[in-house]
Amino acid sequence: MAPGQYSTDPKQHTLSPIVTGATVIGMKYKDGVILAADTLASYGSEARYKDVCRLKKVGEYTLLGGGGELSDFQYLSDQLDEMADEDWLNEDGCFMGPKEYSSYIGRVMYNRRSKFNPLYNQFVVVGKKKDEPAHLMYVDHQGTAFEENFVATGFGMHLGIPLLRNSWRADMSLDEAKALATKCLEVCFYRDCRAYCKIHIGVCNGTSVDISAPIPLNHFWGHGAWTEKRLEDDDPTATW
Amino acid sequence: MARRYDSRTTTFSPEGRLYQVEYAMEAINLAGSTVGVLAEDGVILAGEKKTTSKLLDQAKQHEKLFQLDDAMFCAVAGITSDANILINRLRLTAQQHTYSFSEPMPVEQLVTSICDYKQGYTQFGGLRPFGVSFLVAGYDAHHGFQLYHTDPSGNFSGWKGYAIGVNNNTAMQIMRQDWKPGMKLQEALDLTAKVLVKTMDTASPTAERLEFGIVYKTPEGQVKFRMLKDTEINKLMADATPKEGEEAAGAATSTS
Repeated sequence: MAPGQYSTDPKQHTLSPIVTGATVIGMKYKDGVILAADTLASYGSEARYKDVCRLKKVGEYTLLGGGGELSDFQYLSDQLDEMADEDWLNEDGCFMGPKEYSSYIGRVMYNRRSKFNPLYNQFVVVGKKKDEPAHLMYVDHQGTAFEENFVATGFGMHLGIPLLRNSWRADMSLDEAKALATKCLEVCFYRDCRAYCKIHIGVCNGTSVDISAPIPLNHFWGHGAWTEKRLEDDDPTATW
Repeated sequence: MARRYDSRTTTFSPEGRLYQVEYAMEAINLAGSTVGVLAEDGVILAGEKKTTSKLLDQAKQHEKLFQLDDAMFCAVAGITSDANILINRLRLTAQQHTYSFSEPMPVEQLVTSICDYKQGYTQFGGLRPFGVSFLVAGYDAHHGFQLYHTDPSGNFSGWKGYAIGVNNNTAMQIMRQDWKPGMKLQEALDLTAKVLVKTMDTASPTAERLEFGIVYKTPEGQVKFRMLKDTEINKLMADATPKEGEEAAGAATSTS
């Protein structure tokens, strides 16, 4: 094979994403775990699909949040639905929970990257199965997978994690956790060009998995620093 | 007898029987006694080894009991070489599940997978069935301690007590009378020993001819598998073997 050629197969694999989702925030709270993501799927720099739900319920106890290539998120969602159906068809009183699904997704992602045909995503897989502790796992297109108390993907990693590190506690109430996730996504909307001001929040509390209706975010653009006239406004070459 | 319909596994006889499968089950009835007992806090499998010879370079060779996963093991009755293929498959299936899902495989799902594999050999390919029956004992978080029996047809059921190999009818009869719900591990071990004393064709059953294995919960709450040591087996069998006069007295009271 020529240098730089990764496959002798004439079929090409997509190595860069086309329609993408941005940040996903996940955090454990007192009774379970929540996931939050905005409702935007960008087409490069165009904010193209503004009413997309990037959270998916998997099986009975698990929630999958996807950033990155949307078609890969949809493909994996369909595969997981098929797995959940087979799990139900066993009729053996055993159901797969967040640990099984997140582990499986991790293996799929790593094996795909090893074949140079990745699913171009950053996933947060969360859930709580009845009396077991809450589970939160980050999995990405390289096959990196780890468990944590709170994670964020994409820009949220840079803007949200510091906020989470300051304010997260293990005994947070649901409302506190929702408020913290909302705040992170607000900051992301202000500073991430690919973010949006409408979000979904999903909650896993051990008995049910619920994804909220779309929630509009508050955003304020009337800051003095933003609106008052500045010397350089008339100078087109200014870069401040 | 409709011999003409025997030779191919994949054909029914006019009476609707699969002769090859039935012949496979016959092979197992000649195997060494194998017993399984389900207790409230554990599961026991025990088997009589058929190949015991001074010349055998025994060391650590197992013939009857094989571990499948951290908290699952099985007892084999039938053609040993066939059993080895299936045991390899069982172990691989259990580990592949743990690799994908980071969780131990539920016992019934593992049993189902090997039974579906065995069933394939009774329906297509023109190959003979596996001449092996298993007793599978294990623990999972979903259903606790479990005991299953599988046969060459690919059928399986869950049991509280089961026996395969020679004298399995006698063994089952004793268990039918003496198995009680809520039995603890030690009582179940005593019952297993009692059954083996009756079914083994030797006057002095010792650890040399026996393998005993248990899945149990440690005081810390962890579930483990282990094989019993020779000293433990000998003590169990000695306690279960009735002394000279007792056997007759026991028989007298049970008939009155």
